Amino acid sequence: MPSEEIASRTRSEAWEPRILAFLCNWCSYAGADLAGVSRIQYPPNVRIVRVPCSGRINPLFLLRALQNGADGVLVSGCHPGDCHYISGNLAARRKFALFKVLMRDAGIEPERVQFTWVSASEGGRFAAIVQKVVEAVQKLGPNRKLVKSHER
Amino acid sequence: MSANREIEARLRETAGKLLAEKKVGLFIGYEKASLPFRTTPLFLSRAEEAERLAWNPFCTANLSVYLPRLFQAPADARAAKAAPPPPTIGVALKGCDARSVVALLQERQVRRENLVLVGIACQGLVDRRKAEKALGTHEALGAGEDGRGNIRAVVEDGTEVTLRREEVLAEACLECRSPAPSLYDFLLGTPVEAKGAARRRKDGLESQPLEARWARFQEAVSGCIRCNACRQVCPMCYCKTCLFDQTRPRWIGAGTDISDVSIYHLVRALHLAGRCIGCGACERACPMGIDVRLLERKLSAEVEKLYGYRPGEAAEAVPVLSCFAMNDPQDFLTEP
Repeated sequence: MPSEEIASRTRSEAWEPRILAFLCNWCSYAGADLAGVSRIQYPPNVRIVRVPCSGRINPLFLLRALQNGADGVLVSGCHPGDCHYISGNLAARRKFALFKVLMRDAGIEPERVQFTWVSASEGGRFAAIVQKVVEAVQKLGPNRKLVKSHER
Repeated sequence: MSANREIEARLRETAGKLLAEKKVGLFIGYEKASLPFRTTPLFLSRAEEAERLAWNPFCTANLSVYLPRLFQAPADARAAKAAPPPPTIGVALKGCDARSVVALLQERQVRRENLVLVGIACQGLVDRRKAEKALGTHEALGAGEDGRGNIRAVVEDGTEVTLRREEVLAEACLECRSPAPSLYDFLLGTPVEAKGAARRRKDGLESQPLEARWARFQEAVSGCIRCNACRQVCPMCYCKTCLFDQTRPRWIGAGTDISDVSIYHLVRALHLAGRCIGCGACERACPMGIDVRLLERKLSAEVEKLYGYRPGEAAEAVPVLSCFAMNDPQDFLTEP
């Protein structure tokens, strides 16, 4: 979706948060799929990007998402010890922890970027996490920081 | 003879000897520059030119920044085979510069066996901007050091002005925890006690509300002209291709749009998390006087708190973001 459209939709009156979710191929994406086939209801505000592993997440992805108008970002991988690549999520965990700290210190609401683990059997957990993230971002309102204005 | 003059003499002698005996093919040090409060990097390959070397409180550059590229092998395997053997390099290092060499060794960017490290027990360096500010309306024509380590400057009307040492020391030097090199082949001068251990720049970021922190960050980076000087002088920014230079894809706009500028500084802080050794070269290089280490300082403190790690302390240590522990804290995770 062009970022102008994202930007204009963010400004529309009936504002709904737009969450970008990065899910790892092996656990969380399957977990989201399970939530779907189990017909568990969760807010439709997430757009899912499948990545090979949570270790694939470059912090730049998260910043770019915010810059292009996402109101929140969710990153989910396999539980520690369950990574398909043995330790991708463990190596990522340190980066994630520091990313949260960076958000806090730069003055960007840390709730805009959330990290979690969801396994392939946890459809219910995925739905509950999405519910929680959407509620948190709803409370914060539209993302205005870091968003690049395209009007110029 | 003041301590620094003695170090300078010994530096010339050591470098000259290394070059004459062919122990090194290249010696990197400092040379007097044409402007006061400044020095310029000097690349020496002939022993008889060792007299050009200088050591004074204005030798602010972190010379380890040149090392990774001198050891860079061609990416192509056949070209790498045909390439000349890596050079042997002698380099003058202050405490902070030695830390960055250790960090570069940790990340395998330099070859210890090809390096001759001439460590200098640093007494702290002068921040050019602070000195110029302290002179007020006067313009310095020349500058030097007096016997007690204070800075003497000759100004335009020919009078001499003495600047108190504490007033003009660089911020990074006031905070320095290890002014003497930890890794060296030769050590010049007597190590001084680290006075900076207790001092931390108080920016009170933690106690401020979110919006105030955001305003502070935006105010800090809004002056940025994206000249990339902070990246160029950083010894840890050695990527052959920097993501900020890439145009396909263009990850981040190259202009001074506040959003792009903010992301530049956020990414820079993240890339240096757990790697920055705090030499302050970026701060001194910034033409706009931005506090470019604002976020990075916080991240470093957090890395130390979370993982008990300080970069540049042990060449054998694995960089903090290249390893993990099963019990790393993860209380930042979202739970349903």
